[in-house]
Amino acid sequence: MDDILKLAPLEERIYRHRCVEAWSIVVPWIGYSFSTIAKLVEPTPKAKYVAFQSYYDPKQMPQGRWAGIDFPYVEGLRLDEAMNPLALLCVGMYGETLANQDGAPLRMVLPWKYGFKSIKSLVKIRFVGSQPPTTWNLAAPNEYGFYSNVNPNVDHPRWSQAKERRLGEFFKRPTLMFNGYGDQVASLYSGMDLKKNF
Amino acid sequence: MHSFLTSKWTKGALFALCLVPLGLLVWQGLHNDLGANPIERITHATGDWTLRFLIIALAVTPFRKILHLPDLIRFRRMLGLFAFFYGCLHFTTYIWLDKFFDVAEMLKDVQKRKFITVGFTAFVLMIPLALTSTAGWIRRLGGRRWQMIHRAIYISAIAGVIHYYWLVKSDVRKPLFYGALVFLLLAWRVGAWLQRRRAPAPVRAASPTM
Repeated sequence: MDDILKLAPLEERIYRHRCVEAWSIVVPWIGYSFSTIAKLVEPTPKAKYVAFQSYYDPKQMPQGRWAGIDFPYVEGLRLDEAMNPLALLCVGMYGETLANQDGAPLRMVLPWKYGFKSIKSLVKIRFVGSQPPTTWNLAAPNEYGFYSNVNPNVDHPRWSQAKERRLGEFFKRPTLMFNGYGDQVASLYSGMDLKKNF
Repeated sequence: MHSFLTSKWTKGALFALCLVPLGLLVWQGLHNDLGANPIERITHATGDWTLRFLIIALAVTPFRKILHLPDLIRFRRMLGLFAFFYGCLHFTTYIWLDKFFDVAEMLKDVQKRKFITVGFTAFVLMIPLALTSTAGWIRRLGGRRWQMIHRAIYISAIAGVIHYYWLVKSDVRKPLFYGALVFLLLAWRVGAWLQRRRAPAPVRAASPTM
């Protein structure tokens, strides 16, 4: 962990965070762009995707087997998504190191995607050739796609994604395409049918 | 036991007890103690209590028979009406705090999202039952017909469980637990019905030809 902290200067980044269940919050995260670490690894041209894996210890997390999803939690990104400067390798929030429930000691933050894509408590990062499996997609493929970009025009089968409730606010506010980060990330998906690739 | 169950104080105390879940929500609301997403908490709490009261109301008859406490019947209507009361609160949080009274949005939801379709069905079915819960309506409809109509509560309870099961994202232990309770309570009725059918028909009058 000390080595990771020394790789690059830490930045505070204030991102909108949008949960797939239609609430949102603004969080000051601490970390640096994932691309910093990725460039050090020098992935070969065969690497097309990045596969992430969370920590899982059934002894320490006895409720895990009741979660209804398979652990360890896994997530994935296309390599160009992971290299986008917005993709944050995160070590802290609110000026402090991450708490366990927030994904200590190391997590991803991907502000243009639904919250569950921002995997917590990383223990393994692999650069791979084909699209890696992702936990929620395995659990319910019709509800959670590989991309899971914030998109007010594509509803979750069980609820609308057009609006969200910012925690602490009474009225709902409209959800923005790519959670408002379209200028930075929309080009990653040009030409793609985002209704199909939800 | 008889005098305890028939005392008006018992009924009053039970009434107050049934209001505790609501009181707790109001108290927590006033003390800013409903967590990060209070509206979600209120929605879930009122939904939970609707289902719990439905189950409690459905448990009255089996308990009367098994424990030989016919006086329990005095509480059944009140318990059923509390299920409807919490159902109303649950529906109100949805239509107000989630949809902001946008009826077109709501109808779209009911049509499109099956967990809302079954939840809405469960709620709507409870309305006529609440309206016809008075002694006057029992008289007007006649006991048999009234009872027939009020069996719709079985559908409400089943639909309520399905609504909950379809809603949770992965850990289905709680909806399955409620489902098991509803199953047991309905199975008991099926058992009781089969037993009544098998029992010899009561002897009416001696036949004159004998």
